[in-house]
Amino acid sequence: MPVFQELIHDVQGQAINVCSMFLLLSSFAIVAQRSLASCVSLYAMQSFFLGFTAMVVANASGVHHLYFAAALNFLIKAWLIPRILHRAVDRLNVKREVEPLVNIPSSLLICGGLMILALYFSQPIKQIGPLLTNDSLALGLAIVFIGCFIMISRRKLVTQIVGFLTVENGLFLLATAITYGMPLIVELGVFFDILVAALIFGVLLHRIQDTVESARPAESRFEEVGEVAP
Amino acid sequence: MTILFLSILFSYLGGIFLPLCFPNREFIQNTMAHGLASVACLLGLVLGYEGLTDPEPWHIALSSNIPLLELSLRLDRLAAFFLVMISLVGLATSVYALGYVTEYYGKVSMGTLGSLYNGFLLSMTLVVLADNAFFFLILWELMSVTSYFLVVTEHEKNEVRYAGLFYLVMTHIGTAFIILTFLVLFQNAESFSFEAFRQSGHTVPERLGTVVFLAALIGFGTKAGIVPLHVWLPYAHPTAPSHVSALMSGVMVKTAIYGLIRVYFDFLDGEFPWWWGVVVLVVGTVSALLGVMYALMQHDLKKLLAYSSVENIGIILMGIGAGMIFSAYGFPELAALGIIAGLYHTLNHAVFKSLLFLGAGSLLYATHTRNMEEYGGLLKRMPWTGLFFLIGAVAISALPPTNGFVSEWLIFQNLFLAYQIPDILLDILLPIAAAMLALSGGLALACFAKAFGISFLALPRGSHAKHAQETPIPMRIGLGGLAVMCLVLGMGPIFVIPVLDQVSAEFVGVSVAERILTMDGWALTTANFASVSMPALAIMLLALSGVGLLFAHLLGGKLQSRSYKTWGCGLNVTSRMEYTATGFAQPIKRMFSTVYQPTIKLESEMLEESRYFAKRKHFDSYITPFFQQYLYEPVVNIFLRMSDRLRNMTVAHELNLYLGYVFAALLVVLLLVR
Amino acid sequence: MFGNICLIFLQMVVILGVSPFVVGLIRKVKAWLQCRKGPSVFQPYADLRKIFCKEAVIPSTTSWIFTITPYILFGSTLAAGLLVPAFFADMPLGFAGNIIALVYLLALGTFFLILAGLDAGSAFGGMGSSREALVASVTEPAMILSIFAIGLTAGSTNLNTIVHRTALFQGVTTDPAPHLLALGALFIVALAETGRVPVDNPATHLELTMIHEAMILDYSGRYLALVEWAASMKLLVFLSLLVNIFAPWGIAVEATAGAMTLGLVAYLVKVSALAVVIGILECTVAKLRLFRLSELLGAAFILALLAVIFFYMFRG
Repeated sequence: MPVFQELIHDVQGQAINVCSMFLLLSSFAIVAQRSLASCVSLYAMQSFFLGFTAMVVANASGVHHLYFAAALNFLIKAWLIPRILHRAVDRLNVKREVEPLVNIPSSLLICGGLMILALYFSQPIKQIGPLLTNDSLALGLAIVFIGCFIMISRRKLVTQIVGFLTVENGLFLLATAITYGMPLIVELGVFFDILVAALIFGVLLHRIQDTVESARPAESRFEEVGEVAP
Repeated sequence: MTILFLSILFSYLGGIFLPLCFPNREFIQNTMAHGLASVACLLGLVLGYEGLTDPEPWHIALSSNIPLLELSLRLDRLAAFFLVMISLVGLATSVYALGYVTEYYGKVSMGTLGSLYNGFLLSMTLVVLADNAFFFLILWELMSVTSYFLVVTEHEKNEVRYAGLFYLVMTHIGTAFIILTFLVLFQNAESFSFEAFRQSGHTVPERLGTVVFLAALIGFGTKAGIVPLHVWLPYAHPTAPSHVSALMSGVMVKTAIYGLIRVYFDFLDGEFPWWWGVVVLVVGTVSALLGVMYALMQHDLKKLLAYSSVENIGIILMGIGAGMIFSAYGFPELAALGIIAGLYHTLNHAVFKSLLFLGAGSLLYATHTRNMEEYGGLLKRMPWTGLFFLIGAVAISALPPTNGFVSEWLIFQNLFLAYQIPDILLDILLPIAAAMLALSGGLALACFAKAFGISFLALPRGSHAKHAQETPIPMRIGLGGLAVMCLVLGMGPIFVIPVLDQVSAEFVGVSVAERILTMDGWALTTANFASVSMPALAIMLLALSGVGLLFAHLLGGKLQSRSYKTWGCGLNVTSRMEYTATGFAQPIKRMFSTVYQPTIKLESEMLEESRYFAKRKHFDSYITPFFQQYLYEPVVNIFLRMSDRLRNMTVAHELNLYLGYVFAALLVVLLLVR
Repeated sequence: MFGNICLIFLQMVVILGVSPFVVGLIRKVKAWLQCRKGPSVFQPYADLRKIFCKEAVIPSTTSWIFTITPYILFGSTLAAGLLVPAFFADMPLGFAGNIIALVYLLALGTFFLILAGLDAGSAFGGMGSSREALVASVTEPAMILSIFAIGLTAGSTNLNTIVHRTALFQGVTTDPAPHLLALGALFIVALAETGRVPVDNPATHLELTMIHEAMILDYSGRYLALVEWAASMKLLVFLSLLVNIFAPWGIAVEATAGAMTLGLVAYLVKVSALAVVIGILECTVAKLRLFRLSELLGAAFILALLAVIFFYMFRG
């Protein structure tokens, strides 16, 4: 039944396309979002779509350890890390990114430009292999860029952490796109690292709040501190 | 044709010299200068028509004693198109000037003004006809110099002299680059004649070609007023008498477009790398956006119009840039479409911009001020001027059914058709350019809603506006003619497109008129991708507005209305409650504050008894003139410092040193020529 | 020829007749969500009829611009309405203008409305005009780019062709992503252009927030009726664009009576559904500050840009 198989292939392709669309959209939404809690939720959404993409790729390519990576993705990045961050945000008094270094419309436009650049950079690489997930290359690169931009342009630590995690998600997508995922052991290591990093960030946020209660260091590297104090 | 040309030449020459023969007879001088100019422009229209219809270009040459200079003229389709444009606008401004210059009686020498005006028109006419680079440069300079003298007509004012000087310096920088362009081409062709340029254009090596491209873009771009070379334009264009402003903004900047097309498509034969087109497109996009953004912030009506010229030049360059990109990628039909769109907008802009400038002149004539904040309520006092200005404002905002819409629509379609280019970066870049064109169109709508609404509607804000009267008949004829042209060019792409198609076919080699015009010419179509029919739209608008009237009568019966004062929360509405031009543009200023970098100063002086009552408040708000502050001033400062140092070196107190300099110079010269 | 004239006439009747209903439906949905009973869905018809019969008070400061604007606004909006295929995919006037012409026709009405707002001379009108000028100009880029994205996926910017091809599943099935993104962008643009909630609140008369209402504050009598009618037609035009570009299912492709009837019913159902969505949205979303508008429209622009990018990416 070649027609049927083609149809399946087509549906898989479309599913990947739609997933990657949502993936990218959630990255843009993080850029456009002021509320810290929403940023974290959007990150969770992004990770969810990433896991879903990985699943579809696993199905399409028959590389079965990707299923495992996808499951880990759902568990750690779409559930555990957002939980940790949400709790951290709840304890902070800072709820919003009040004044980003670059205002939001400009940020959006800059990220649009980064997307075009990513597309441009990935053009020569794209020609090399006829993989199913070719387009994800540009998308992964774009998400990495956007994550970097979030880290650069936002003042609040939580948003910067989300930016960092976005970069990681982009890298995961890149790995999936180029080689259908890294060896399982590397994948596991990365997940573990990310988890530890998120834990450390969470603890760090509390620590900052606990130790520097009344001081208002204007030049502090962690600006939350200043705004926490009543 | 030669006879026709000679009669044009002699009419202009008569216009130049005869007014000077009747000193102090201002009426005669005025009639003579502008009457002869009108005659010359009429003849110019005929000659242009002949040039557009004749299959073979008309050519005439006189040799001269000066080496390399040949007084040769050539009327091909491109030149004929520009000749028609110059003559059309020139006709309107000449008729208008008959009434307008009465304002200057007793203040300015009418003979000088008239003869300079004719000289200006003549030099523009000859610039597009010239067929020799040397001759072209002489005429180009003549055009610059006569326009400079016209700019400084009211030279007793300080800011006029400043504007004139600024213009003179900038235009000479531009001329230097044009000379560079021609020198490179000369080196390749070993002759200054355009014919030789044309023959040898494709042999220009690529690196030199790039030099030609950039030099021509900077040189002609200075005249055209592309960002960031536009800085002189909002000073020089408004300070000239209004009929000259109309010519400068409507026509003179177009000679630069002529030069660009001549060099890129005629001399270089349309063979260039794709990035040239991208550069032109980007420059055009930036000019279009920034031009209209700065225009919005002006409340000097003529300055607003000058900035809007920057915008429209940008739009024209977008069409031409897209054409260049398509030409480089081997899509001659799309390239032709781009050039046609660009040229259409060139013509349209010439018509509506001169209309608006003349309208601004009428307001100046009636109220003696250029400040929009003192206008208001003029539609009741100057109904005809108001109507014509409104048509111009609708046209420049690119709204159907006027001409601005047609050309912008064509440019949109041209940019959309980029999806055929096999380069993904350009595929995305061109639609973004289209989006920016849409933004500049939207801002232009806001800008001209402001220009018309603040000037002509509601209550007068100043005493001059209160006592304004309708202008003399010649002025209204000039305005009316152009307003009619706006509508005709809007409804009649069926007549315009074939003409433009023949112009572009000269370079691109493909005729696309039959493919653009479908349904016996009633509709415009681009490659099955889009269609629009201007006459149908106009009829629909009229008929459906009629349906509105019908409903009003069917449902509401006979009109019962009464006139009563505007509701102002219980107060009588006075002109101080009206929105001002500054207030109207304020939200836009705030939203695009990244571009404008506005500065606001509020100084208040309180009463001594209480700090709640202010004795005096001073509010100042201005936007940063970005390019002048960050681009021009540093360069000027460097030059000033260098010249200071040079002066210190040369102004030595000893004769021996001077002699030393002279001797050193001599040695260097001998070394060089050895 | 006669058939075409009938079609045009039918389309006109549909646009004129359905538009007040849509406004009434949105009001009704909002009332329900606010636990009110709300006026009947057909209240706007009665309102129009009433205002048409009232005496018109014309401010003494105004010129002929003020009185001519309602007719131009009405005419241009109705003209735009005739360009959109509503229940039949091959409108005879399709050649007269593509979607860009439609946008500029609506802009013509906006231009005159801005002038009319300034004409009365009160600060309210000026405020409304100034804000409308801002909104109208900054929505343009997102609108044009989303139009282009639609044009790419459908292979044309002619509305007839777009609707025809989408209705017959030509070209759209291969790549839903760009189509969805363009839908998102155009939806935001439609909300901004028609003055719905996150941008403007049609139910308010508070000078700090109103845009459209401020411009038409000095209108009364038949002029007001025409302006109100035109505003509801504009809403309907955008709704028809959205439903028929992205979901033209059920639209008549052949000129038979049965297909037409089906098309008409489908059209009414789709437009009503979208109106309900807008009503729900207006109850759940707060109005944005005027200067936050750039964020919303920036998002719309990015959506449209992504639609274009995705199209080229998936095209390969």
